[in-house]
Amino acid sequence: MNAVDGSDHYEAAVEGPSPSLLVIVLDTNPHAWALLAPTLPLSKAIANILVFINAHLAVNNANQVAVVASHSHRAVWLYPRPPSSSSSEDVEMTNDQPPKLDDANKYRPFALIENSLLASLRDLISTTAEKDVATTSTTQMAGALTLALSYINKATVLYSDTTSSSKPATNAIDAPENTTGLQSRILVVSVSGDLAHQYIPIMNTTFAAQRLRIPIDILKLAGDTVFLQQASDTTKGIYMHLRSPQGLLQYLMMAFLPDQMARKHLVAPTQEVVDFRAACFCHRKVVDVGFVCSICLSIFCSPPEGAICLTCSTHLALGDYGAKPAVVPRKKKKKRRVNGGGGDTPSARGTPVPGE
Amino acid sequence: MSVSSLASFEYLEGLPGTTFRRLYLQPSTTLAIFRRMLPHLAKTFVMAMLYMTKPIPLTDLDLWVHPSSKRQPTEALSLLSRLHIVHITARTRDEPQVVSLTKAFGSSLRLALTGGGDHQSFGVPSNDSTTADVDLNFLDDYAQMQWEGILHFVVSSVGEGMRQNTQGPTPAVKQLLESGNLVTRARHSGGGITQAGFSFLLQEANAQVWTLLLLWIKNAKQMEMDSVDVLSFLFMLGSLELGRAYSTTTLTDSQKQMITYLVDFGLVYIPPSSKNQFFPTRLATTLTSDATALRSVAAGFDAAHTNAAAQKGFIIIETNYRLYAYTTSPLQIAVLSLFTKLTTRYPNMVSGRITRESIYRAISHGITSDQVISYLSTHAHPQLLKASAAHGGGPVLPPTVVDQIRLWQIENERMKATSGFLFKEFENQQEYDGCAKYADEVGVLVWKSDPKRMFFVSRVEQLKDYIKSRKMK
Repeated sequence: MNAVDGSDHYEAAVEGPSPSLLVIVLDTNPHAWALLAPTLPLSKAIANILVFINAHLAVNNANQVAVVASHSHRAVWLYPRPPSSSSSEDVEMTNDQPPKLDDANKYRPFALIENSLLASLRDLISTTAEKDVATTSTTQMAGALTLALSYINKATVLYSDTTSSSKPATNAIDAPENTTGLQSRILVVSVSGDLAHQYIPIMNTTFAAQRLRIPIDILKLAGDTVFLQQASDTTKGIYMHLRSPQGLLQYLMMAFLPDQMARKHLVAPTQEVVDFRAACFCHRKVVDVGFVCSICLSIFCSPPEGAICLTCSTHLALGDYGAKPAVVPRKKKKKRRVNGGGGDTPSARGTPVPGE
Repeated sequence: MSVSSLASFEYLEGLPGTTFRRLYLQPSTTLAIFRRMLPHLAKTFVMAMLYMTKPIPLTDLDLWVHPSSKRQPTEALSLLSRLHIVHITARTRDEPQVVSLTKAFGSSLRLALTGGGDHQSFGVPSNDSTTADVDLNFLDDYAQMQWEGILHFVVSSVGEGMRQNTQGPTPAVKQLLESGNLVTRARHSGGGITQAGFSFLLQEANAQVWTLLLLWIKNAKQMEMDSVDVLSFLFMLGSLELGRAYSTTTLTDSQKQMITYLVDFGLVYIPPSSKNQFFPTRLATTLTSDATALRSVAAGFDAAHTNAAAQKGFIIIETNYRLYAYTTSPLQIAVLSLFTKLTTRYPNMVSGRITRESIYRAISHGITSDQVISYLSTHAHPQLLKASAAHGGGPVLPPTVVDQIRLWQIENERMKATSGFLFKEFENQQEYDGCAKYADEVGVLVWKSDPKRMFFVSRVEQLKDYIKSRKMK
């Protein structure tokens, strides 16, 4: 109460609510959403996510949001819309915008985001050709995560520029706990299953996020991905697999809305058992036990051809791998034990063998 | 965190429950209160409960919260119930306590998030295209001119001979300032500034706006206006977009009456050519922003001005208490001279020292050390900010100076009064321990004495419930 020193003053400065940036990576894999359609159609999920976005923006005036779609063959920005989009599109957009945006019953920033997001999503769906869908059944998660990270980086630099004029960017990254700057996090709404073929890029983005202290939250609506579990585990994010996707909004509001500041006081739902398996570099198979190059730590499901590492081309000595273990006669050992007399010396004894 | 949020907050807490229920009918008001008035954790709780169909048991909420941080959640909950945002059932023997959002607040906030309904609370844009000449710069200039006029009026009575050629505020504003005790006209011929006036000057712009608006709301009752109407209109202004024209045709009568005052304050601009539309200025649209957001907004506000009168940061203070202020604004210099011994004035800066006498003088005027320090740090020169960032985000001002200013204040303050409640004469040690521990957890405990079995708290409502429930067991 009667603190004489000025320390309470400094604390107050740090405690101030800092804005947070939420980047949502939305998995728009058509195959997976088609499977989900009976329980949770895409339109409904989008509506829920929009409410969630609005809630995030409502928490703080300075909160920002960005949405990336991880589509079947490319990763696309949904919000903010990339400036590269041709002018003809903009003209087309203005045709249907004004009546909606002048609605006095909606907070204008919410309406702006909603319109822009829906328009770009419609764009994305209409430009998806059938052959794109037919050729692949997965999603470009790694690309989308990379886009998200680069956006966060840009926003962080921009933010520290405007507020404290010249805070070096490197400082913000290496600071042990930068509570004053922009708090960023990534939320992945994932519906696709296996991502083994993107193992390396996903792990790279994960480690980048870990270094930047950006939690990657995973909301799994369907399928199961080993690597996204690992991503959320290493970055101290939240992993949730919804058994009943109908309640998406409540899950979003309860578990995923609190930002880093609030999470300090809350018990976050996380995976108790994390699947730490890796994918091999040669066939992209998820393996329990594999072979690791002693030089570059690449993982292989079987010894590479000619015992040369596919990544760093080191010649690997496999030793006696594959040879049958030789049977060692025991007779000699027995004799020696008898000679030792009583065998009370505790040190030199091996594991007791049954039947001795 | 800022002074402003606290001021408006305390006023709101004092309102009766029926006022809240009427306030929460407007989604824009709900959104603004949610955004501006609540601490971070309280927001999290509200959002988690927003789409819950059933009330959530208090024990479940406890489970959700980290066991190590018990204080913040209880504080958040008690604040939420004081603002009539959540309803916590009374503690009974057979039913557990449950928490739920009050109906009005919940439905309004949901409406604010999803849009829809027919409340028109986010402002009706005007489609008249007669005012192409009103752009952001113009609005900023206008707001700045009006507001500085008011500040000049307050500061001009300091006696530094700073009377400017700007025409002062309108008589209505002058009257308001007088009735709010910011200036008095009584003794000197030119009027005098009061203690409240000094602390008013040292606040940041947003806090000043709120101070004035709250004064005005308190006076609104005399002018026969509905305070709910007034408040919800202010919150609506906070949700409008800068640089857009809005229509006045849908406003209620008292709101229309109000808008003429807001023009005097510089919060809105009504173009002379068309009377049925208005433009909110930056002062209005940042009413409900957070402190951090404000700082960036303030930067934008000042960047829009070419005259260096109100540069963002202009004060450099050294560890030897020397102070250099790069400003030519008579207003800023007058404010600085309230607590600094200014010695030299150059074409683009003034320099001086913070001395024990100058701080004493300020304190005797009723300015607190906190106000001085927060003024100095909000107006710190970018160079100071850079230096603090280089040291990993340390304090902006030199700690020696900050500490010394506090010490100078404390020299005169041997006693501090806190109003509250004394609890004594407990039946046994156990009862005393339980109550004192609970009071500490809730964060209301001010003082306690274990041997005497007495303690003193600043707030009594929760403790009352707690003691009652103890009695029941």
